[in-house]
Amino acid sequence: MSAEKRRKIEPSEIRPAPRPAGLVLDAQLHLLDRQVLDVDGVPVTTVDDLELSGPAPDEPIPEGAAPPSITALLTGPVLGTRIFGGRPPSNRLIRIPWDVVSGVDTVITVGVRSDSLEASWVERWLRNHVIGRIPGGSHDPD
Amino acid sequence: MILTDLLGSDVVDSKGERLGEVSDARFALDSAPTQLLSQARLVGIIVSPRTASSFLGYERQGMTQPWPVAQLLRWWHRGSFLVLWEDIAMMGSQEVVLRPDYVAYESGLPR
Amino acid sequence: MKRLLGVALGILTAIGGFVDIGDLVTNAVVGSRFGLSLAWVVVVGVVGICLFANMSGRVAAVSGRATFEVIRERMGPRAGLANLAASFLINLMTVTAEIGGIALALQLASGVAYLLWVPVALLAVWLVIWRVKFKIMENVTGLLGLSLIVFAVALFLLKPDWGVLASQAFAPSVSQEEGPGVYWYFAIALFGAAMTPYEVFFFSSGAVEERWKVKDLMQARMNVLLGFPLGGFLSVAIAACAAVVLLPAGISVTTLSQVALPVAQAGGQLALAVLILGVVAATFGAALETTLSSGYTLAQFFGWSWGKFRRPAQAARFHMSMIVVLLAGAAVLATGVDPILVTEYSVVFSAIALPLTYLPILIVANDPQYMGEHVNNRAVNIAGLVYLVIILAASLAAIPLMIVTGAGA
Repeated sequence: MSAEKRRKIEPSEIRPAPRPAGLVLDAQLHLLDRQVLDVDGVPVTTVDDLELSGPAPDEPIPEGAAPPSITALLTGPVLGTRIFGGRPPSNRLIRIPWDVVSGVDTVITVGVRSDSLEASWVERWLRNHVIGRIPGGSHDPD
Repeated sequence: MILTDLLGSDVVDSKGERLGEVSDARFALDSAPTQLLSQARLVGIIVSPRTASSFLGYERQGMTQPWPVAQLLRWWHRGSFLVLWEDIAMMGSQEVVLRPDYVAYESGLPR
Repeated sequence: MKRLLGVALGILTAIGGFVDIGDLVTNAVVGSRFGLSLAWVVVVGVVGICLFANMSGRVAAVSGRATFEVIRERMGPRAGLANLAASFLINLMTVTAEIGGIALALQLASGVAYLLWVPVALLAVWLVIWRVKFKIMENVTGLLGLSLIVFAVALFLLKPDWGVLASQAFAPSVSQEEGPGVYWYFAIALFGAAMTPYEVFFFSSGAVEERWKVKDLMQARMNVLLGFPLGGFLSVAIAACAAVVLLPAGISVTTLSQVALPVAQAGGQLALAVLILGVVAATFGAALETTLSSGYTLAQFFGWSWGKFRRPAQAARFHMSMIVVLLAGAAVLATGVDPILVTEYSVVFSAIALPLTYLPILIVANDPQYMGEHVNNRAVNIAGLVYLVIILAASLAAIPLMIVTGAGA
């Protein structure tokens, strides 16, 4: 529990916000925990976390510095650390780069096929080594 | 930086007084397009005076049903405000520090 | 005919919810100990599941999202994970019980030892999930499961004293030997069984499997309004048969053959044969429903591709998880545990999962971003909130009552 003094912001101090030009997204409301679909509508994964381009933690931000942007959607082991604390090392994060994202709605769509993304490696592994080997695994369900 | 390092951090002003916790981060897609969508630039952070858990976003989206749930959550998050990127002095591993002349804006989403 | 078969999803969902092996025995136990004085709980449960299944079906038809996907999105990963853990355990225990139930019914029919039937049941359930089209699966098991109507037929053949049954049902009271603790424990167990979360997960995922859209909303409603009341009706019929035959004789229900006793007494060998067919179909249907539900909940939480409409190679993690669940269930059965006992303890996890499941459904059904103009109206919201209070009360009371009464002993 922090021993610092608490300051309450009075409603009269809150001003109407400036309007940004494009689509506005709040991370928790619109991005985190959302389903990601590929260009064919096949589910890829859920968004477990987001990677930003900056700023460096614990360093003062210079005046007029450009704001950071989202570099990638994160999935995989980062879900465990998000719930229980801690953080996986950078090379173990599974990334979906922001520049393949093609739309944000109640789902997030990417413009490439699921198989070309690193995020689908478990699915591909199981397909090749287990499910694809059981008779009937590759047949359409008819 | 990973987003969930930021969410839930304490927010303090330049004098060290605690204003609340980071309950969300707002982005805008208004810069130059990359391949498919434009870059998502950080507009600012949403600060909630009490707790960061804001999973339903009722206070920002103007939803009013179901009525008791909406009223409860709006009350819980009353006094939430938006702080722009320009007013953030430092994003630390423990807390976010604001500049001395920061402005508190309404946290509602533009419609 | 197509219209009639169009409600198969609702019927199959209800069968898995109201007359799976655990409920078959619980309803008979309740009838043999309390008569029909708990019938009102079934009615309350039916109304509740109709309300929420309709909401989740509407969400699935309008937004294309199944319920568990929505739970993580709206409640966050912690609440979603808690729900997933509880639901997964319920599903695992129920799958175990259903496979055991299929084997028990087949033993009743053939006299061949129950443990020998377990691998047969396991393989049969898996093959249907692996290869059979969703529509065919629901139509066949749904229709065959309706043979359980033999309980209602048997009730008439037994020529009961309708006045006694009616007074038990409409003026419920707790008898001297039983006591209020046990009465309320079974009330919560029946309520939890009527509203078990896997019913909504299965129903809403089934709605996505069947590609229901806004134009199918009327059909969705028909599924709900036909299927679940029918399930409730079967539940009450089973309890009534037990009330008429077992209660006066003081016979306590511990095995499937005691459940079948009233039917055999009323209609002889033929009725018994129909009953066994119905029990096999219903437990088979419940096994399919809960196995698929465990796959759906895992896949929807983690964002995997899922669905029987995809070939298995395109939904590898989905099918892998279901194979693991089935094998785990068989392993538990191999230890010799009584499958019916297993379901009694799944009541505990149901109690935890109930509020975590139904609150997000109510919230999303009001969210215009998902529902457009099809958000809940005032009446549905009020009913939904009333039921949330009931659900919360049941969920809080379940575990203490279970401990105090020794699980209804």
